[in-house]
Amino acid sequence: MSENVIIKTSKLVHTYPTGVTALKSVDVEIKENEVVSIVGQNGSGKTTLVRHFNGLLKPTEGNIYLHGKDVTSQSVSQLSKEVGYVFQNPNHQIFSTTVRGELEVGPHNFQFSEQEIAKAIKEVSELMKIEEDLEKHPLTLDYTTKKIVTIASVLTFRPRILILDEPTGGLDQAGREILTKIIQMMKERGHTVIMISHDMDYVAENSERIIVMSQGRIIKEGAPQEVFLDEEILKQAQIEPPQIMQLDFALDVRKKRSTISVQDFVKKYKAQFPKQEGE
Amino acid sequence: MNNPIVEFKNFSYIYPKTEKIVLDGINLSIYEGEFVGIIGCNKAGKSTLCQSMVGVLPHLLGGKWDGDVLVDGINLGETKGAGATDVIGIVFQDAESQFTQETVEDEIAFAMCNFGYERSVMRERIISAATDCGLIDMLDRSPFKLSGGQQQRLAVACILALQPRVIILDESTSQLDPIGRDEVFNLVAKLHQQGRTIIMVDHNVEKIAEYVEKLVVMDKGKIILADKAEDAFQKMEFLEQFNIRVPQVTEACLKMKECLEIDKAPIKLENAIQLLQIKLEGTNFE
Repeated sequence: MSENVIIKTSKLVHTYPTGVTALKSVDVEIKENEVVSIVGQNGSGKTTLVRHFNGLLKPTEGNIYLHGKDVTSQSVSQLSKEVGYVFQNPNHQIFSTTVRGELEVGPHNFQFSEQEIAKAIKEVSELMKIEEDLEKHPLTLDYTTKKIVTIASVLTFRPRILILDEPTGGLDQAGREILTKIIQMMKERGHTVIMISHDMDYVAENSERIIVMSQGRIIKEGAPQEVFLDEEILKQAQIEPPQIMQLDFALDVRKKRSTISVQDFVKKYKAQFPKQEGE
Repeated sequence: MNNPIVEFKNFSYIYPKTEKIVLDGINLSIYEGEFVGIIGCNKAGKSTLCQSMVGVLPHLLGGKWDGDVLVDGINLGETKGAGATDVIGIVFQDAESQFTQETVEDEIAFAMCNFGYERSVMRERIISAATDCGLIDMLDRSPFKLSGGQQQRLAVACILALQPRVIILDESTSQLDPIGRDEVFNLVAKLHQQGRTIIMVDHNVEKIAEYVEKLVVMDKGKIILADKAEDAFQKMEFLEQFNIRVPQVTEACLKMKECLEIDKAPIKLENAIQLLQIKLEGTNFE
């Protein structure tokens, strides 16, 4: 195992009680301090895979290693301090009667001192712009704010690894920018971020590596530019690339390289037109 | 032009026990057969606007209001909460939380039962709504065991059975995967082609640009722009001030506007491909 691998699975198989095998011998390595996204259609095994990382699910076969140590039999309570998990639907995560209470749950469970808890709540609520909502009942908040509260409630106990399940669902542009800031901050502080997402625009611009899953297997791994160029894989995984990439694909039939952002696209094509700006 | 099917006349609203004006002097006319997209940041007032059109506000929740909302000429302020349910229906973001019945069939029948429809009429409308929404083979399934896209289509079917002329979808696709999202957009496009008025709140500007005719942009309780979608999305710098982006293809073409020698950037992928393919002809691009 290479030194900077933080999570590794070996021949991971998961069969649900219904008999459905959601993971079929998955070998994956997540490196320390990387921002990685797992993509694929519904039922491809994305959520099943990451739920093994913090013990929410136990494998039918195979092993999970954290920092090289076999943690296959460890419980959620043992793993969740290290691996924070933000659910897709905030209504499935929230249970306190105030936002402040919700933010206190994690640090309390991990025996933070009152001073540390207060500091963590102040820092996280300022970062996520929810200071004004701290005394409100979380279920009275709009969906996006609830979503931000659930991310905040995990950030307060500073897990080394942050798993975000469909983090951009229901977020507006401002919410997406806050999310990007959080991911950048986690990266700068040495944390590892794992996202599961259908939002290819966001994934393309905010991931260092993309893992593509289909029918319980990993079918491709690589940098966004590399993954989104592979038409066969996109088709197999039923992934729709960002609109700007689709435009690039339609124009650049040789597909020498792909553009993952509007800036890239403009840089690539602007020089092609005889009339330059300002003429 | 005919009278609007939905009309806001200087309408303002404040939620109970608060002082903040969430809708501030709204004037808006939506005409029968239009496909209208409403965009804006969270807390801009989009959902409050939608709830005002069906009479949930102010009658059900209370609060303070001023001005009028008219649906098909009926002033909702005078309906005492009944709204105009025969004219307008709404589908919310989290369809699952709306369901109460054990089967798809009973779920579609539920609202009709409450309105006291004849059994034969209910049967006919269940078949019709389920067929339109692609659920005809799922009538005996549990609503809670459907995929996200199927659940949203069921929520639309429940509304459709009441045969409203206007259907509002409030962020109905935000929790769906691309397949589910396309299912919902394709369904509402079909309903629009059948003559229904569609009002859709969504954050996905690429999809909104692909489907809607008219765009309403909100910020802090006000309508800051209401125009044809193809004209509204040209105002990229103006929209950026409100944290609203334009479709990626529009942004790219607007940033190359001078070089492309165009007055207006395309807002749909298909049109952008056509435009750029023509412009690239005769260049050295390979």
